[in-house]
Amino acid sequence: MSTFFAQYAWLVPVFPFAAFAILTAMGKGMSKTGAWIGTIATFASLVLSLCIATERLSGNAEDYSNQFTWIEIGNLKLHAGFEVTNLSTMMLVVVTLVGFLVNLYSQGYMKKDERISTFFAYVALFTSSMLALVLSDNLLTFYIFWELVGVCSFLLVGFWYQKPEARAAAKKAFIVTRIGDLGLLIALLLLFWYMPGHALDFTTIHNVFDSQGGGAISTGITTLIALLIFLGAVGKSGQFPLHVWLPDAMEGPTPISALIHAATMVAAGVFLVARTFDIFDASQVAMTTVAIVGAFTAIFAATIGLAQNDIKRILAYSTVSQLGYMMLALGVGSVTGAMFHLLTHAFFKALLFLGAGSVIHSVHTQDIREMGGLGGKMKITAWTFGIGALALSGIPPFSGFWSKDAILTAALDKQPILFVVGIIAAFFTALYMARLFFLVFVGKQREGQHAKESPSVMTIPLIVLAILATVAGFVETPFNGWFGHWLTGGDAEHHASGLVMVVSAAVGLLGLYIGWLMYVKGTIRRDAVSSRMPGLVTVLERKYYIDELYQWLFVKPLQGFGKALELFDEYVVDGIVRLSGYSVSALGRLNSRLQNGQVQTYALTAIIGIVILIVAIAGRRFW
Amino acid sequence: MLDNLPVLSLIAFTPLIGALIVLLLPGARSNWLRATAIIFTLIPLVLVLLLFAVYEPATGGGVYTEHSTWLTIPLNKEVLDMKLQGGVASFNLAFDYHLAVDGISMPLLLLTGIVSTMSVLASVHIRKRWKTYYVLFLLLLTGIYGVFLARDLILFFIFFEVTLIPMFFLIGIWGYYGREKAATRFLLYNGLGSAAMLISFLILIVTLGFSVSEGSNFLYSANYDVLLGNLSDPNALANIDTGNSRYFGFFLSDNARWGAFVLLLIAFGIKVPIFPFHTWMLRVHTEAPPAIVMIHSGILLKMGVYGLIRFAAFLFPEQLQSWTTVLAVLGVINILYGAILACVQREFKLVLAYSSISHMGIVLLGIASLEEVGLQGAIYQSVSHGLISALLFLIVGSIYERTNSTNLSDLGGLAKAVPFMSGILLIAGLASLGLPGLSGFVGEFLSFLGLFGSMKILTAIGVLGILFAAVYVLRSILSITYGPLPERFAEMKDARFIEALPMITLAALIVLLGVYPSILTDLMQNGFNGLLEQIQTRMGG
Repeated sequence: MSTFFAQYAWLVPVFPFAAFAILTAMGKGMSKTGAWIGTIATFASLVLSLCIATERLSGNAEDYSNQFTWIEIGNLKLHAGFEVTNLSTMMLVVVTLVGFLVNLYSQGYMKKDERISTFFAYVALFTSSMLALVLSDNLLTFYIFWELVGVCSFLLVGFWYQKPEARAAAKKAFIVTRIGDLGLLIALLLLFWYMPGHALDFTTIHNVFDSQGGGAISTGITTLIALLIFLGAVGKSGQFPLHVWLPDAMEGPTPISALIHAATMVAAGVFLVARTFDIFDASQVAMTTVAIVGAFTAIFAATIGLAQNDIKRILAYSTVSQLGYMMLALGVGSVTGAMFHLLTHAFFKALLFLGAGSVIHSVHTQDIREMGGLGGKMKITAWTFGIGALALSGIPPFSGFWSKDAILTAALDKQPILFVVGIIAAFFTALYMARLFFLVFVGKQREGQHAKESPSVMTIPLIVLAILATVAGFVETPFNGWFGHWLTGGDAEHHASGLVMVVSAAVGLLGLYIGWLMYVKGTIRRDAVSSRMPGLVTVLERKYYIDELYQWLFVKPLQGFGKALELFDEYVVDGIVRLSGYSVSALGRLNSRLQNGQVQTYALTAIIGIVILIVAIAGRRFW
Repeated sequence: MLDNLPVLSLIAFTPLIGALIVLLLPGARSNWLRATAIIFTLIPLVLVLLLFAVYEPATGGGVYTEHSTWLTIPLNKEVLDMKLQGGVASFNLAFDYHLAVDGISMPLLLLTGIVSTMSVLASVHIRKRWKTYYVLFLLLLTGIYGVFLARDLILFFIFFEVTLIPMFFLIGIWGYYGREKAATRFLLYNGLGSAAMLISFLILIVTLGFSVSEGSNFLYSANYDVLLGNLSDPNALANIDTGNSRYFGFFLSDNARWGAFVLLLIAFGIKVPIFPFHTWMLRVHTEAPPAIVMIHSGILLKMGVYGLIRFAAFLFPEQLQSWTTVLAVLGVINILYGAILACVQREFKLVLAYSSISHMGIVLLGIASLEEVGLQGAIYQSVSHGLISALLFLIVGSIYERTNSTNLSDLGGLAKAVPFMSGILLIAGLASLGLPGLSGFVGEFLSFLGLFGSMKILTAIGVLGILFAAVYVLRSILSITYGPLPERFAEMKDARFIEALPMITLAALIVLLGVYPSILTDLMQNGFNGLLEQIQTRMGG
């Protein structure tokens, strides 16, 4: 109905950006105040986002968009602008909410870091870029903020820059995601040249690729564009085979992991596919690819998660796996399912990471084998973490159950195999979460560890997120398709399927039960698998050797090629130059040797010259 | 205000006046010398900025032009009279003093003003023979401004040569260990380029430059506008293939056109540099003093781009059009060759040198597109690369002052010791790898966008360059600033005010151009009209 708040939507990213500018300009002089500037700015964004959401929830508000010409060359215009739709409103709320809670939490977590104001500046820029990305009304603006999100995550992953691992991880995060960005950039160029009127805005893209579009763009090109866009999403959202950066990104401070994994960076890929969904929908090949990559990533990462010992890495692989679910949902045509899972995942994954941060803050290690029995000392952390784990494992009535259920139902409709893969991955998910939870919070406490609960500035965000992780699922249940209708404007696509609900809940409970038997009860020995199949466990621990494979497949050959090219440059390209230089001076030396003062030499030279002349002149007759 | 002043001449020649004043100052007073040099670098900058403020793209800059006859050399009238069997009133060779600005030169003038000012500020690190240094510096500046302003082929050539000699000494006297070899290599290559340029210019003057005015006044002109006019005039002798005119060489045959075109491509290609003519610039990048590399990499390479567009493209649109693929392939080779080599270097200055090669490849792609977007992208990329590499070498100079090395394996952890400089270095690096929001992205994007319309596969291969850019930029910059700080750097001091000022200025401009590209693109409006119309008519006809 009204678009009063929507027209000020551009302010949402501006608040944190202003905080970034202030923090950068003021420098280190304002450590504590700086942290509050960042937090308050994000809070302002949150309030405005909630206003926009309320406005849009109250009725079927029109989409509001506004743009200006960014570059004008000849009769060609490139625009920048923002657009408020229900999809972007949802993202605004998720990003600002999680962003605000992470800000609050960081006040405690980063308290002792001397570069705390830099940290908050980066976080503010990160949030701001993500918000601007969400609001972008065209693919060019989107791409610009997409890259900025990437660079911010690079800065934050490498925040503790003196650690060589952090440096390597930051570099890897940027370069690997950039492979995907190339895809998106080329897709952008393709769209620019194939779209009628060089339009790049999402509305026109929607109209052209919609079923009514009338085949303005051939299927082949459509598939190509879709796959290239998907490449971008694969990089950003850590899908196989570009997932390798995401677990390494754990080198950043833990609140950042929460932000990257829940609300900002990785969500961008899923959001991109959802935003340009019409292009995918127009190409069967692209949809199948998305679904298969998603399903494969879901199960692939879940199996790795089983064998990791670093608390953050387990959660990282779980993120990769859950993003796989979202892609699977998109691939089987369920935008609602994907966005719904993005929403619930944002809450419970932020919760889990912040909980993990609280644990690390307390025991100063990340290895779950060195933890145990923390539940007694850290009650709030344990309880909230438990809720997050249940939500992630898909146990009803927690939020993860409903969103996973939506995805699995859609998958079953489309292709039973994808459903089966999803169910198996769900089982592994429950298993590794059980392992994680029981090893950390249950059992005997380690000697010498003086764990104590984190300060309230850290636990309050945990409680808020735990509440959200519990109830967020009820916006869209099989009995109430309100959210899907609001989000996509279409009919509720999600039909109750008793079978799916029962199976997915059962599988989740089974996973937890087995985990309980293994790590608490001890009925099943912990090394039951590793003693029988040590090879398999090693492969999982080493993450299927993907990193090593890339090292041998790409990095080494490229370095070798570079070295070879260096020799080529030195000895061939420059060699020819030097050779021509030498040959001139050699010729000079040769000639100067003739100038030796002996008349005989001069006479000989003269005679030779005359002979050559005669031969040349006389010879002309014959040719 | 500017209307009453010969502003273009002032821009070009105030540095020369400054050089003369510096000559008169006592050589030991380094502060006086420095202040004079700074003042006489600032005056042209201020004039260029004023010009920028009043410049109206819609008029194509025609208002600001200075034109007078400079040299008229009478030629042997009788010979021509005999050949033409009478009717020759006069027969002259005329060189004009003709300066002008338009949408192509205006951005480069701005670049020159800014980078030269930053460079003169960065010259604090120069430790010996200040007087000679600043004289040569100012002389170099006159040459550069002249190149971008001159509209007479001979005048252009003279200014172009004026840049070579000071450069030669600046590299050879104030450089690092291999400075003399580098200077010789620089002079040889560029001399070769100049020779090619001169031959091509002579071909152009005696054909396209030939005209007959009222009253049978025969004239060879070196004026660029005359050449352009004759080129598009079907009645010009250069365009008429009659048996008779062959004796005089007035007719610019197809073969002659190709010859002149290729010569221009070589002449300016060496400057850009286009593979395989790049090895000289590697040496200049590593051996010249950083303040001079700022000028070299920041501005001098762009003279090549400017020459390619101003002469090769505008005078030979047809040849260029049939060679766009060649140019694009050369561009892609530049991009990838430079980028891959930049990935394996251990010396930071070489990383930057190869990255310059890579970035100039993108400029070639923009030119090869023959689309307005791409051409503007080429200039945009030139300006942006000029600012970025000036900033990078500014920091290189400041780091070298403190560490005595720019080898990647010697450095590390500097973010701890010199956070400000490290931050600026990171910004420059991110701009170099094409991060949106910074100037590098706009130039690259426009160039790619332009070429993609006609050559999709080649562009897509070229786009790979930005992936390698991420690799070499992060690899080198992170190994300088990230990681543990070696003990010996613990006492390092961050940038002084005099160093920080140009760093902040350049970084701010890089951000400004990245966020608000219309500053430059509006300026370039109509700049390429002549060329685009030519291509349009050819396509139509």
